[in-house]
Amino acid sequence: MKIALVGQPNSGKSTLFNAVAGYRSLTSNFPGTTVEYAHGQARVNGDVIDLVDMPGLYSLTPGSPVEVSAREFLLASEWDVLINVVDASQLSRSLELTLELKDLEAPLMVCLNMMDEAARKGLVIDSRALMAALDVPVVEAVASRGRGIVETFRAALAQHRQASSSRPFIYAREAEATIQRLAEALTPSAWEGHPRAEGSGIAGVALGDSPVSAGVTRCAHAESSVAVERPPVFPTPRFHALQLMQSDPQQLSRLDRYQAAVVEQAQSEIVQLLGQPADVAISSARHAACLNLFERVTRVTKPQAGWRERLDRLVMHPVWGYLFLVLVFLGFFQVIFELGKIGETHVLALSDALLASLRQHMDPQGVTFAGLKGALLGTAGAVAIVLPYLLPFLMGLAILEDVGYLARVGYLMDAAMHQLGLHGTATLPVLLGYGCSVPAVLATRILASRRDRFIAAFLAVLVPCSARMTVILALVGFYLGANYALGIYALNLLVVMLAGHVLARLWPEISPGMLMEVPAYRMPAPRVVLLKTWWRLREFVVVAFPLLVAGSVVLSLIEFYGWQQFINAALSPLTALLGLPRVVGLTLIFGVLRKELSLLMLMQALGTTHVLSAMTVAQIVIFTLFVTFYLPCMATLASMIRELGWRLTTAAAGALLGLAVAISLAARAVFLIF
Amino acid sequence: MRTTAEFDSPLNLYQADRHATLKVLLISGNWAIRRSFNQIGVHAGDRIRVLFKAPFGGPLVIENHGSRVAVGKQLAQNVRVEVLP
Repeated sequence: MKIALVGQPNSGKSTLFNAVAGYRSLTSNFPGTTVEYAHGQARVNGDVIDLVDMPGLYSLTPGSPVEVSAREFLLASEWDVLINVVDASQLSRSLELTLELKDLEAPLMVCLNMMDEAARKGLVIDSRALMAALDVPVVEAVASRGRGIVETFRAALAQHRQASSSRPFIYAREAEATIQRLAEALTPSAWEGHPRAEGSGIAGVALGDSPVSAGVTRCAHAESSVAVERPPVFPTPRFHALQLMQSDPQQLSRLDRYQAAVVEQAQSEIVQLLGQPADVAISSARHAACLNLFERVTRVTKPQAGWRERLDRLVMHPVWGYLFLVLVFLGFFQVIFELGKIGETHVLALSDALLASLRQHMDPQGVTFAGLKGALLGTAGAVAIVLPYLLPFLMGLAILEDVGYLARVGYLMDAAMHQLGLHGTATLPVLLGYGCSVPAVLATRILASRRDRFIAAFLAVLVPCSARMTVILALVGFYLGANYALGIYALNLLVVMLAGHVLARLWPEISPGMLMEVPAYRMPAPRVVLLKTWWRLREFVVVAFPLLVAGSVVLSLIEFYGWQQFINAALSPLTALLGLPRVVGLTLIFGVLRKELSLLMLMQALGTTHVLSAMTVAQIVIFTLFVTFYLPCMATLASMIRELGWRLTTAAAGALLGLAVAISLAARAVFLIF
Repeated sequence: MRTTAEFDSPLNLYQADRHATLKVLLISGNWAIRRSFNQIGVHAGDRIRVLFKAPFGGPLVIENHGSRVAVGKQLAQNVRVEVLP
């Protein structure tokens, strides 16, 4: 028994999922954050059900890759019941997806979520009337407070037991006839060239006077073998017809000629009948029906005006809004820096003490000591990064996201992001880059164009992630002072801006721009914030901890047996060029494994945690700059290959390596002159 | 088929003032542009209000049937509107 949660972005699908299925889903107050499907199991009334949390969809006509994959999932029918989660405070718009889902003619029920927010907006919704009008079960809920959750799943189970399928939404009568004709023309028997397609059947009527009809019939034969092999993707011919009628010219060009011709014929019929392009006509019909439905089932009373309005007037203000933004992020990074420093100092002191006692209790010349020392330093490094820096960052970001502030940041930053060749919607992936490049690269999926995804991913990888932040703070900040660290951040920001500018020139494209829902402010639920923090932290912890400890042990042993000279010799042209000590060559290799390993391995390679005794100020700065900008870590490269493909990833990696060498050389020149 | 010329309103959404109440006359532009507006619930005939306008050619925020949508400059220029009293 499998239930899929489907709904528009920000409607609370993930909140509902988290309430019953535990820890696997991300919830947020930013449209389009569920880029990965979350699977989980829940027990309702003794039944074990598989739950799938789908990414938010505004409609079934797909645009971005997230929407494409979501529609594919829906059409593959690997579920038994659909729960359509609806934001009650956005009822009229949300119902448009509900009507489309009804067209799937499958078991469906509606969970009318966020009833509290609807009440705050002054909406009194008669859910019984809505149920009668939609002809599917409707359950009221406030998922964030646990209300209506059990009832929702009970209703879904009942739908499954009764195997009752939704009935399709009926459009204008004239349009229905055309839809029906197209649906019949598209049934497999028609496109295999059966009598219905060639004779006086319905497809024949649709194509009768068309000048292309002769060619079409021939084509139907030629394409039939391809057509038969194709899996039956669309649940009903009517749904198939509706989807094709709304598709764009580009999608039509991918159809075989017979199908393309019948679809074009149907589209032009709609234009003649209703005076609008088919996609607009169908969408407008749905829209009008939803507005009617909304007026029938809802009474609008006076909204509770309050702090939300006043806050928005400050946050979205053309002057105070930006001041507020700067203060929020200064405060945000200040807190992380302070918390991180406290944590790091304590962890390093502890590991120093442990190492000293280890030295007393065993032979410092033995291989066991070398291995244990590596493991200890590796663990200390992992704990010193994850706990102090990444944890507050991810938690703070989750809070900003769930409150609804990040969407406002997108609005405020849109004009500035244009300078980087991006839109305000790309702010989230780039910001996530300051935490960890992996979720940042994955988050670029919310962007519709491939070009935007590449630029956003490149910039997200360019900004220092928390691992590189550790290198910057723990090496430059700790030994040379906060001003040096700030200088590196400022330089990075400059490089990010220049890179965005250059990329936008190299790959010009007129992308349609920002169209983003601005969600209402919400109180973040502590459980959801913690789950989200954990979910984003989890991959880092699971992959990083073993790698850190193992990498540290391996390096310790390499050092013990004296093999590092071979690796350092191989990298000596690079280290010599940058004016770095030969011994850091090895650390750069480990940095690709995990960025923070560079720092740890540096201390290992130099044989001391007091770096200033082994490196000059210039060397520390150049090393940090190189580590900040050169290749992203393995996990990031893997996620880039997944999202962008080999070619673009290789190009990005090459560009980053070149950039790192250029910046480090420039820094070396500056230090030589002054 | 209705064309842009038929709705020769001198005003597009981006030119509207803050706090103005407007009626959407036509969403011009290609399929992708029409689709994004329709998906987020903005259609010809809708009554909308401009709540905020960002400086430096940034987006504006409109209210449409109770939901708030940030619309970038280029997209807003594709929406022909008429000012309602």
